[in-house]
Amino acid sequence: MKDKIGKPDYSLLAVVLFLTVFGLITLYSTSAYNGQVRFHDSAYYFKKQLFATALGLLSMYLVSRLDYHMLMRGAIPAYLISLGLSGAVLAVGDSYNGSRRWLSIGPLSFQPAEYAKLAVILLLACLVSSRKKNQGFATIFIVMGAVLPIVALVGTNNLSTAVIILGIAVIMIFISNPRYLPFVWIALAGVGFIAVFLSMQQYRLERLAVWKDPENFDKGFQTVQGLYAIGSGGVFGKGLGNSIQKLGFVPEAQNDMIFSVICEELGLVGAAILILVFGFMLWRFMIIATRAADLFGALIAAGIMGHIALQVILNVAVVTNTIPNTGITLPFISYGGTSVLFLLSEMGLALSVSRWQKENFCIY
Amino acid sequence: MPQGKLHIFHRKKTIVVFLACILALIVLIGRLGYLMLERADYYGDKAEDLHERERPIKASRGRILDANGTVLADNKTVCTISVVHSQVTEPEKVISVLCDELGLSEETVQKKVEKVSSMERIKSNVEKETGDKIRSYELAGVKVDEDYKRYYPFGSLASKVLGFTGSDNQGIIGLEVQYDQVLEGTQGKILTLTDARGIELPEAGESRLEPIAGDDLQISLDYNIQKYIEQEALRVKEEKQADSVSIIIMNPQNGEIYGMTNVPEFDLNDPFTLLEGDASQAMQEELTNEAKQEKLNQMWRNGCINDTYEPGSTFKIITASAGLEAGVVSLQDHFNCPGFKIVEDRRIRCHKTAGHGAESFLEAVQNSCNPVFIEVGLRLGVERYFRYLAQFGLLKKTGIDLPGEAGTIMHKKENVGQVELATMSFGQSFQITPIQLAATVSSLVNGGKRITPHFGVSVKSSDGVLKQVLQYPAGEQIISEETSETMQYILEHVVADGSGNKAYLEGYHIGGKTATSETLPRSAHIYISSFVGFAPADDPQVLGLCIINHPQGVYYGGTIAAPVIKRVFSNILPYLGIEKDLEDLSETGTEND
Repeated sequence: MKDKIGKPDYSLLAVVLFLTVFGLITLYSTSAYNGQVRFHDSAYYFKKQLFATALGLLSMYLVSRLDYHMLMRGAIPAYLISLGLSGAVLAVGDSYNGSRRWLSIGPLSFQPAEYAKLAVILLLACLVSSRKKNQGFATIFIVMGAVLPIVALVGTNNLSTAVIILGIAVIMIFISNPRYLPFVWIALAGVGFIAVFLSMQQYRLERLAVWKDPENFDKGFQTVQGLYAIGSGGVFGKGLGNSIQKLGFVPEAQNDMIFSVICEELGLVGAAILILVFGFMLWRFMIIATRAADLFGALIAAGIMGHIALQVILNVAVVTNTIPNTGITLPFISYGGTSVLFLLSEMGLALSVSRWQKENFCIY
Repeated sequence: MPQGKLHIFHRKKTIVVFLACILALIVLIGRLGYLMLERADYYGDKAEDLHERERPIKASRGRILDANGTVLADNKTVCTISVVHSQVTEPEKVISVLCDELGLSEETVQKKVEKVSSMERIKSNVEKETGDKIRSYELAGVKVDEDYKRYYPFGSLASKVLGFTGSDNQGIIGLEVQYDQVLEGTQGKILTLTDARGIELPEAGESRLEPIAGDDLQISLDYNIQKYIEQEALRVKEEKQADSVSIIIMNPQNGEIYGMTNVPEFDLNDPFTLLEGDASQAMQEELTNEAKQEKLNQMWRNGCINDTYEPGSTFKIITASAGLEAGVVSLQDHFNCPGFKIVEDRRIRCHKTAGHGAESFLEAVQNSCNPVFIEVGLRLGVERYFRYLAQFGLLKKTGIDLPGEAGTIMHKKENVGQVELATMSFGQSFQITPIQLAATVSSLVNGGKRITPHFGVSVKSSDGVLKQVLQYPAGEQIISEETSETMQYILEHVVADGSGNKAYLEGYHIGGKTATSETLPRSAHIYISSFVGFAPADDPQVLGLCIINHPQGVYYGGTIAAPVIKRVFSNILPYLGIEKDLEDLSETGTEND
């Protein structure tokens, strides 16, 4: 078998472009009202997102042209930079909606946590694949030890993203280790940790109560408004642009709750198709990972798959009140410049990995 | 560059992760399906409630007009005050203004103003002046919507006939219920969609559904006649200290009712306040809601159609008609009344215990002689007597256009022996409604055609265009014209020189029959005095029935009820354009002989 530099995965490229365009349209539709009310410009959010998307597409193209193997050397510095930025945001970050998550440079603001996800994927792929004996417990502990600082830093003001980062790490370790049983223990330990974590603070238990019966809690307002939007969509929805819940009823509809507006406008059919499109995307990552030329590329693709899967699943689960509310955005669609910039860069990375595919292999 | 090898297990585990993710996505699609199909109605409706501001526009209810076009039931403009929570900017001021102007407790208003709802009604049926005043404060979020409230210009006039409406403009009793569909019209509404700030969405547009005004109902009731019979009924009620007095005036030719009263009447503009006597009693006893409702129901009852009574001697008209029609008796037949008649083992007394002696059938009717009518009843027999009752329409309801008509309470035919038949022959041992008696007598003296008593004449649109002439079943011949004419003749003589002579009105041919019945139990000695009369006797244009319940002192129908009809007739016959006949009655009498 010989590695060969081939063409990128065009299926993945197509689905990325589709989601990007669909995301922009939905974002404009959803945010026009809030933009008009707050900034007297219905395209306010759209313009910012469009700028970040353009930047992201450029970045995606450049990264996809790179030989991803070169990133092995950059993984550790990139991770150290993410630690530095995450630390800086704690000290000099800007607050928005009560959370200090942004670093401002002139007119641009930047959310280090989004960058941290990419840095962690690179770091773990690099750490695991560079170890000669990478199947033992030592690897697990080294890898966990490596990500804990960033989880702790991000987790102080952005618990949801910390959970995503931790999740990505667990998925990558799971794939890199041939055994299954240890992960059952890790899962059980995780459940136990969550239980202890929840019961430590009264307000976290309250979150559970809100989840069970959102209509009877003031804090369930966002969830309930999301459910109203979903429920009023029906099978085929009210039509693109016709959501009423986005008109100030669902708070910050263009952010975490944007999926509920999609449900309202496009109905069950539209929402299910969108989920299936994400499923298709995960399938492409899976294909890229399993056909990768080496472990480093495979782990990068698998990490990206874990990242997208976690965010989509958790976001939809939150919006449908399947799990208690936590702030997780829907990739490519929710408003967020940093998020879309790094997501598209991440896609570039996956496309780059897809150019070094092994031929004639079969494990199915 | 050290690069790890990609093993098979790496691929397998990647696929495991992928499949787990796909499974999670499928579960989420299932969850979405549940929310968007199963729960769609629930959440969809809730969302709609949240978005829609629906303001109903009441349709103006149709008016009720009397025979001459006088408005008996009208509408007046009132206001409904509501608050839109999301638009209220100065809650304290809103609360204080609404408390002051509407006279509501601060607690009530505060609760409603502070309630997070799309629109909260504070008070309806507010006088227009108050509504205008509240509007003049120009408070944000306070809506003053005008609508209509039922208004009865003559207060208690024909209260039990007209009925009244509830706060939602729905008929509660009387014609207001019966003709609710004609009168109510179609409610309109203003539907607007709003955003979360309560601001109406211009692009969504305001769908406004105009209300359709209800149609006017013209009834046969005549304001003047009604007014007069109410006065007359009240007068005799006071004079005789009676429990209640009912008068029905109708057209025996077509069943149109000109007037119907059961005094005491109540105020239609304030129907939930008990009459004075009951009210003070209620204050003393601190009535429970149930007991108060019971008293209100009693007050609203229209005795002429909702209650039955034992008709007594007025029912002899029916027995006589049946006897004549069957040919078992004729005017020339002669009888002897010893003051009683023995039926089987019973001795049934005549009201004149000494007996009327020898008398013709005509004289027997004039004397209201029980033994003679027992004889006629027995000659007919149970089978035939019941056949005539059915033929005359007495076993069914009259079909009057008022709700709650009571049916006849009659023996089962198979249980009727000679004794029961005998008592039925002079109007005892069963009960009918006053309207049934009036309708049946009308049909027997109008040439023999059964009529349906009614009020509704026609339906007109609010701008006066005739939309529908109401039709009633009529015209069934229940006795021959000859028998009907004979009855006219007999009953005219009852008034001219028989027991009904106190109804005699000079210059008019009046037919009629008196009755005095005793309620059960007989030992209580509570009487019902009644008189049914019609004029002109040979071509009846108007028929009146007066029933006095539980009069004190003299209780004979001929003495106290007949004069009431006489007085009423003396007023309404000229009013109805029925001319006096200056010929002497005795002459017409001999002609008929």
